[in-house]
Amino acid sequence: MTRFGRTGQLIRLNFRRDRFRILMWLILLAALMASVAWKFEDIYGTPSEIDAIKGTLASPGIVAMFGAFSFTGKVTTAEIFANEMLLFMALIQVVMNLALSVHATRAEEDLGITELVRAHAVGTLSPLAAAASELVIINGVLGVLYSIGLSAANMPGATTEGNWLIGMGLATTGLLFGILGLLMAQLADHSASATGLAYTLFGISYLARMITDVQRPKLTWWSPLGWVEKLAPYNNPHWSPIWLSLGLAVILLVFAFMANNRRDLGAGALTTRPGRREASAFLRGPATLVWRRQRNVIIAWIVAVIIFGVAYGTVFNTIGDILKTNPTMQQVFGAAMVHEANHKILLSFTSLLSIVMAAVATIPGMQLILKVHSDETRGWLEALYARPLSRTHLLFSYVGTAFVTSTLAFIGGLGGIVVMGDASLTHVKDGISASEFWQGVAAQLPEIGVFLGLAVLLVGCWPRLKAISWAYLALGFISVYMGSLLKLPDWVQNVTPTGWMPRVPMHDVNWTTFSWMVVLAIALVIIGWQGYRRRDLHMS
Amino acid sequence: MTNPVLQINHLQKKFGHFQALKDITFEVRPGEVFGFIGPNGAGKSTTIRVLLGIIRASGGTATIFGQNVWTDSVAIHQRLAYVPGDVYLWPNLTGGEIIDLLLKMNGTAHSAKTDDLIKQFGLDPTKKARTYSKGNRQKVALIAAFSQEADFYIFDEPTSGLDPLNERIFQDAVMDLKARGKAVLLSSHILSEVERMCDRIGIIREGQIIESGSLAEMRHLTRTMVTVTLGDDFDVTTLAGVHGVTAGHAPHEWQFSVEDEHLSSVMSTLAQHQVVALQSTPPTLEDLFMHYYTGKE
Repeated sequence: MTRFGRTGQLIRLNFRRDRFRILMWLILLAALMASVAWKFEDIYGTPSEIDAIKGTLASPGIVAMFGAFSFTGKVTTAEIFANEMLLFMALIQVVMNLALSVHATRAEEDLGITELVRAHAVGTLSPLAAAASELVIINGVLGVLYSIGLSAANMPGATTEGNWLIGMGLATTGLLFGILGLLMAQLADHSASATGLAYTLFGISYLARMITDVQRPKLTWWSPLGWVEKLAPYNNPHWSPIWLSLGLAVILLVFAFMANNRRDLGAGALTTRPGRREASAFLRGPATLVWRRQRNVIIAWIVAVIIFGVAYGTVFNTIGDILKTNPTMQQVFGAAMVHEANHKILLSFTSLLSIVMAAVATIPGMQLILKVHSDETRGWLEALYARPLSRTHLLFSYVGTAFVTSTLAFIGGLGGIVVMGDASLTHVKDGISASEFWQGVAAQLPEIGVFLGLAVLLVGCWPRLKAISWAYLALGFISVYMGSLLKLPDWVQNVTPTGWMPRVPMHDVNWTTFSWMVVLAIALVIIGWQGYRRRDLHMS
Repeated sequence: MTNPVLQINHLQKKFGHFQALKDITFEVRPGEVFGFIGPNGAGKSTTIRVLLGIIRASGGTATIFGQNVWTDSVAIHQRLAYVPGDVYLWPNLTGGEIIDLLLKMNGTAHSAKTDDLIKQFGLDPTKKARTYSKGNRQKVALIAAFSQEADFYIFDEPTSGLDPLNERIFQDAVMDLKARGKAVLLSSHILSEVERMCDRIGIIREGQIIESGSLAEMRHLTRTMVTVTLGDDFDVTTLAGVHGVTAGHAPHEWQFSVEDEHLSSVMSTLAQHQVVALQSTPPTLEDLFMHYYTGKE
């Protein structure tokens, strides 16, 4: 039996095991791409609409979020589409690939399933080969679906080459990060650590492309995540990013196979070290237990959000200086007016990013709350239930940590933007003042509270439906990130709490909205808490 | 203190339409080890989870220390120690940290006894829980339970992953609890363990307690195997209370089982027929279990 024996059978097994999650991802992503392409002519069909958005897309704030693209000659609807959608879709596809790759390899190994499989006449490298094949097929199919969807939408200015370039470009970018996930799964010795490593590298790629895009787009070639921007599918088609992604993916895959070949089952290059013989005085109850278990994740999230904030802050001096784009303004309107205009632009930029930051800061909190249920089903809480410890105490240990984590992450992220941004300005008065900053904080905290409250409600009353909280957050995030560029109807933006509060600090906090959102969040938590006290707990 | 520590009366639990527990009634008294046995899926762990207040009973009552297991669970757990059958531990904490944490949550602390138990069981407390085998995870839970000064101990198949040496350490520790007047509820499949330690046992099948009492009492409910060689042509099949008669290898040799209530009358009849050789075997615990588990002869 060769080292790759029965890989084919394992591939079939993988598809059977993952069929629902794969199908969900494929449908979701293909439908998103196709429906936006379908609608796009209505949004940006006329030359005047295109001219208006062209200016917006060139502004550093948008470049930071969507990438730098150069337009030459007459700009078409398809070019605007490529500009708005490429990086965004790439991000979602990377998230999909990292989830699938670690799930198919290290997570199975942690559960002992790989041991069971390997005890049969199956090659030593077959599980990894099967996972890699699974990723190739999924990304390939998705790429083809994109291309077909784009061809069907037939946007003005779209070309067949461009359509296929987008499909294949996203497929290879996704695959590259999927293979990166596989490699990390070989290096780490458990799935949480593999996921953490992969996301760290993903985050670094994103930051690298953001900073280079704003400062010097040529350097974006150094970030694998930036390659997808370089496709320029409808104005200056480049196939080189695809070959680059594929080449790097092959190299990483070879490394993964080498690592897999050398290591024992269950082991990794980065091993779990022994720890304390006795508990520290600090570790004494459920709340400190949550902290002890999750501290690395919590700290990593807060630090990551702050770094993102700081990175966004570095573009303040480019955005907040109208004179750079229009030097004659000062002569016409006078210095005071120019500073006022600069301040307005920065307020608007900060208001948008503040909602994005809030949505991102909600993720670690939501993870913590949903852990109440996943820990329950894994049997980790059984030892706690047998202690003199009420369910209220147990639940609020998680919920409290979650609220604190999300709040700190958000304040840190927004603080990063404002502090770094103001520091980068030559004329600090143009920047965001302390009171504007705290208004921004006050505006978003109820929104975080409502999202987390929903998670508490689901965990407490209907734990099987807990995935809804992720879908709801994702909807909120997309409606903020893409809402104005896609001109989504108002009701879509109002479905989730991200759209309930006016943009602050551009506008003032609406304290009525603030109050009822806080009340809603508290009500959700209370209902969830009562449900949790009353329901049977599930055991493995 | 003569009141039962645990008292269960006609306890029922339904999951949707599935009646997991139909009728559970038994009690455990101080200074007693109660063996809770039955086939897989009979409802042992469900019963224990009701007792811990993890799931709520659909009918009947259960009290520990005279308090309701659902509403007063926090007060009860102050004086209770529990070791689950499958021990799941937080993967990124060490065994030592987990033991200490569990003790602290009962208001006690790591003591010399804890160190002694760690040494006896041969556990390396500096390893992260994700690297422990099943047996080592059980040791963590057992060490935490034995270091705790409780009045009622619940063990749910606690030794299924332990080697014989550690199993013996466990048994000695339980006997020590018993000597100190503690009440113990032990769910187990290991017959020698039950036979050695339990004062009384309760057998559960399909959500019902079908028998409870001391082992000696239960043995009376079954049959004694008899092999006898007689001096004449007496036909033993004519005896009352005799089952499964087979002829032996030698002439006039018989094998059969006798219901215990008929044992003395059978013996006196046989004595009149020149008993050449006689062997009788009391029912083994295994026979007893098979009898109750399968519900057949």
